Order: sequence, then structure tokens, then C-alpha cells
Amino acid sequence: MVNHRLDRETAVPLVLMMVMVFFWACPAWAGMPTEKVKETTDKILAVVSDSALKDPAKEAQRRERIRKTVDELCDWEEMSRRSLGRHWAQRSDQEKKEFVHLFGQLLERTYIDKVEGYSGEKVIYAGERIDGDYAEVDVRIVTKKNTEIAVLYKMRKRDQKWWVYDMVVEGISLVNNYRTQFSDILAKSSFEGLMKKLKEKSAE
Amino acid sequence: MKKFNIEFTVGLFVLAGILCLGYLSIKLGGMELLGNQGYDVYALFSNSGGLKQGSSVMIAGVEVGRIRSIGLDDYQARIVMNLNQGVKLQEDAIAAIKTKGLIGEKFIEITPGGADKIIPPGGKIRETLPPVDFEQLISKYVFGKVE
Repeated sequence: MVNHRLDRETAVPLVLMMVMVFFWACPAWAGMPTEKVKETTDKILAVVSDSALKDPAKEAQRRERIRKTVDELCDWEEMSRRSLGRHWAQRSDQEKKEFVHLFGQLLERTYIDKVEGYSGEKVIYAGERIDGDYAEVDVRIVTKKNTEIAVLYKMRKRDQKWWVYDMVVEGISLVNNYRTQFSDILAKSSFEGLMKKLKEKSAE
Repeated sequence: MKKFNIEFTVGLFVLAGILCLGYLSIKLGGMELLGNQGYDVYALFSNSGGLKQGSSVMIAGVEVGRIRSIGLDDYQARIVMNLNQGVKLQEDAIAAIKTKGLIGEKFIEITPGGADKIIPPGGKIRETLPPVDFEQLISKYVFGKVE
């Protein structure tokens, strides 16, 4: 008898708690890192495989749409800051802004061709790890020749949204790659020299 | 009396030999006897790639610490590094496992970051890169070619 009464007493708060957890968990789940990567990837693939945009004359329009989609996923400032490493703090706000712009352009030029070369590769979402405000999303790209390419998206939460700040392809990190290159250039010449090089690259 | 002297000298030489051996093995093994200075940080790698206890930790090719221990943590390699006092690591520093030359020993190379936050003693290096598996890369290329 005593047992029954106890059950009823604990049941009400228990159900309440479950309902609360459910509602609290829902919005958080909708914004999971994998979801965000998947959403953006799907959008880009839709643009790339859109036959209406295949026309070479529409290249600019197509690239514009890809860039806009990627902008929603990537935190360019964080990426630039990490790539420039310890040189970032020494720059003025104006220089930082200009650098973020040029670095974004450099990445766009380097990678957009690769994205546009898409020919039906499969994308598998292999899992994610969340650690506080940081997350890693494991993605495998399966080519038509059945080889798997491992891509790891490193993400960070900012303003309640997940943003990519680094990409690791087969163990090679984008940020680390540019960080070593930039520090090499900065050791040999100056920040102005680096900016000049970036400008030349994006004007090519 | 004479006999005792010879035995004594031999003993002395043997003792000196053992001491030298001990010194050599400590030096070559990269161990430290008189307490570690510096501080520890740890990092999780998806693959430690045959890194060993005592391997170097480098920044710009300069040794700034050594690996204290390697263990398994949730199927990832947890590597504890002992860094020299005075070496400051920013929160976004990247630790990568690299190989000396093509087939040399493994070490950890740290590229310093630009964050204002410094990793405290006992803290975690969040950004890590596993060693690049050349064998795997080559096999991917080879099998990609066959078809």
C-alpha cells in the first residue's frame, strides 16, 4: 500500500520532468551540427546538379548561390583568425576585415571548381562528437570508384548556431595548412606582402 | 694486502661502469630523474600512429617538451605531454603527429594559434591531427586507378 502511494507521488513530477526535457531537447536537436552540415551540403548539391544552372553563361549566378550557401555554414572570421595564428592580434581592425575578405575569396577560388566537378559522389554522415561549444562532424565521401574520403568538420557554437571553423580532409587540416604557409610568407616578407600575394591570387 | 687492493680497484671500475651505463640509458632513453619541471597538457588523437613515451614535442622544429604518457580514452588516443616552463600554448594551437623524414620516428609538432586564451596546466589541446597514413593514401590511389 505504502508503495502505491509513493508511486503516485513520484509519478507526477517524473512525467512533468520528462515533458520538460522533451521540450527543452527539441530545439537543441534541430540545431545539431550534423543537421547543419547536411542541410548546407544538400543545398549546394542541389545547386550544382541543377540543370537549369548548368549553362556556362550562368556560371556567375551559380557561384553566387554556392557562395551564399557556404556563408551560412562557415565562420570566415574565425577561420581567418586561426589561419593567421599569432599574427592576427597584431593587425588593425581594418586589416583584419580586408584579410577575412581576401581569404574568403582565396578559398572560394580554390574550392569552388572542385565542388562544381561533382558527379554523383555519395555523402555519408558517420557521426558527431560534441564537447561543450565545440563539435566534430564525421563525413565520408564515397567516389564512383568506391574509395572513401574522410572529411572532418570542426564546428563551434556562436549565437546559438553551429559554425564550421576548420575542415580536416584525410588528416590534413585546412587551417593548419594555411597557418604554416602564412607564417612562412610573414617570416620572409611582411603583412603587406602577404596581402599583395592574396590579391594577386584572387585576381588570377 | 696487495690482493685486497686489486679486488678493490676492480670493484671500483665495475661500479664506475654501471654508473656510466645508468647515465647513458637515462640520457638516451630521454628520462628525467630529478623531478619534471614544466607543466602537463593533454590531447585526444584519433590515431597515435606509433608515437612513444618520451617522443619529442616541437614548435618550429625546436623541442619544447616530451610525451609523458599515452593511453586509450573512449577509443581515442589520449596523449599527455610535459611542456617546458615558459612555453605558452594558445587555445587554438594545433597539435599534429608527424614523422621525421619519410620513415623516421614520430613526434608532435605544434603550430601556435592566435587566441588570447592560453591553455592552463592540465588543460586540453583541442585541435589535433592524426598522422597522415601514406600507406592508406597510396592504396586509395592505387585501387582508384585499377577500376
